[in-house]
Amino acid sequence: MDFSFLDDWEEGAGPAEEEVGEGYRNIWVLAQLSAAGTPLPATLEALGQARQIADQIGVYVYGLLLGHDVQAAGEALVPYGADRVLVAEDPALAEYQPEVYVQVLADLIDHYRPEIVLLPGTSLGNDLAPRLAERLDTGLLSHCVRLDLDMSERLLLGTFPVLGGEMFHSAACPEARPQLATLQPGYFPLPYEDSYRSGDIQTVEIDLTGVEGRLTWLEGDGDFDLPPTPLPKARVVVGAGRGLGDAEGFALAEQLAQALGGVVTGSRGAFDEGWIDEEQIVGVGGQTIAPELYVACGLSGDIYHTFGLQPAGFVVAINTDAEAPIMKIANMAVVGDAREIMAAMVQALA
Amino acid sequence: MKIIVPIKQILDPQGLTFRRDKERMFVNVEEYIIGPASKAAIEAALRLKGEDDQVLALSVGPPRADDALREALALGCDAAYLLTDDAFQEPNISATVRILAAAIEKLGGANLVITGHQSGDTAAGQVGPRLAEALGYAQVTDVCALQAADGELQATRRWDDGFVALRALLPAVVTVAPEAFPPRYAPGARIMNAYREWEVTIWGMDDLGLTEGDLTPRLAFRGESFPPPLEVGEEFRGDPETVAQEVVTALRLQKLIG
Repeated sequence: MDFSFLDDWEEGAGPAEEEVGEGYRNIWVLAQLSAAGTPLPATLEALGQARQIADQIGVYVYGLLLGHDVQAAGEALVPYGADRVLVAEDPALAEYQPEVYVQVLADLIDHYRPEIVLLPGTSLGNDLAPRLAERLDTGLLSHCVRLDLDMSERLLLGTFPVLGGEMFHSAACPEARPQLATLQPGYFPLPYEDSYRSGDIQTVEIDLTGVEGRLTWLEGDGDFDLPPTPLPKARVVVGAGRGLGDAEGFALAEQLAQALGGVVTGSRGAFDEGWIDEEQIVGVGGQTIAPELYVACGLSGDIYHTFGLQPAGFVVAINTDAEAPIMKIANMAVVGDAREIMAAMVQALA
Repeated sequence: MKIIVPIKQILDPQGLTFRRDKERMFVNVEEYIIGPASKAAIEAALRLKGEDDQVLALSVGPPRADDALREALALGCDAAYLLTDDAFQEPNISATVRILAAAIEKLGGANLVITGHQSGDTAAGQVGPRLAEALGYAQVTDVCALQAADGELQATRRWDDGFVALRALLPAVVTVAPEAFPPRYAPGARIMNAYREWEVTIWGMDDLGLTEGDLTPRLAFRGESFPPPLEVGEEFRGDPETVAQEVVTALRLQKLIG
């Protein structure tokens, strides 16, 4: 029998060498760096996902770095799963300009033809990815919180929240290539660092003729403050009840609200004590709220108060009385002194 | 200055109930509203509008989106265009962008296009930047404060956990964050006029010079799912530090806090 085909096989062991310009292969991850020049956690999370998918379909993972003086950061992507890092260096890439970045990425994608391109779902990624998708005339799975692979069709499946996160939709990009996705930061595990991995760093030629950035980044934030969130729309609400004892206890509720990134409100009892204004009362004759997280502190939660609570997302109740009505509707019923526990929570959140 | 505001009519989330345990969404009241992000876009445009400026509202959707456009007129927009056609029945992002781009070009372009950062339903956040690319305009997304004059805009936008200020050359597409532009109420007289006197212009495929091929979706829907139901009534006791740490960890795991 003729075994000569084994010789060919030896040469091509592992995933097939990529062919530039023919067919779409390999997975790319756009790397975003911190101000200090290290890869952002969102970048590493995307690399981890890319590695998993690449191992399933037998292709390489490419890291992609755009910027000025970023060569050194390329090395940092290899231990987290990159087989090769493409570095596009130019002073014009030092700061983010959507048109310039799209031009560079579109040219590279045209040339190397990756099958999948993952971008971190940071402000930069969310600004850039749709514009890139439009340029490439392809689909984009945005804000993905889960990625799967449909092996029968070799398709990337993205799952993303819709309707305010109450449910998820899944979608795929069956025809157009490459398949693009942005990954919501914090939803994917950080990959393990394997310092024995090897990969090569390659500087690529880019052509920036005819494209110019139209943004000027200014110092500071233009002295801007968000208008205060109206109570009914607040995502996180801390409710204070008479059980907090005195103004000092209420101050703890305010500190806790700040630490959680929410607003403070209370029952009619808290209003009677003079801690909150009339507009802040939740319950009958007061406000109705529908937060994602409600933390009720020293609040019994009688019907006059819970009337103002739309089926809230997640309720934490802190009360000395395990039989208080609020404990029956709480997802986490914490039995204990509200003041001590609130102080400890503020500590734990710091 | 000519400001064009693409808006989206959405199913009012107030009328929806989600049952995680049944893995179903129930529509209790089927009512359609201008999405909060679109409403903020109208507000941002009206705040910029001076005496010589024009604010035009556009919407891609079924004939019922007429209501949303009349509300936009009542709020203060100068003209409204409903982009509707039997062929637009199944909305998809690529088609929406093509339709909007064709309509904006038919209107002779704009100095500024203002739209919502993420709609209240699908929240993909793609229409703004895709439209900027299709029109060849500059783009600034997730904007919380906005000024424009002399061929340039200055904006404050959200950038990860903070805010940054920047300038951009016009023409540009700006997407606004709903919480930063609380909408105004429409004056009564304008509401009457919006329904009795003023017209919403209707444009279809032929008016926009589009063909079926322009409307091909790029994404295919592959199903829906729900977050796991929450456990109710778990009790925690113990010393304050330990309990507090347990609560904070649980909230972090549920992604309720950062």
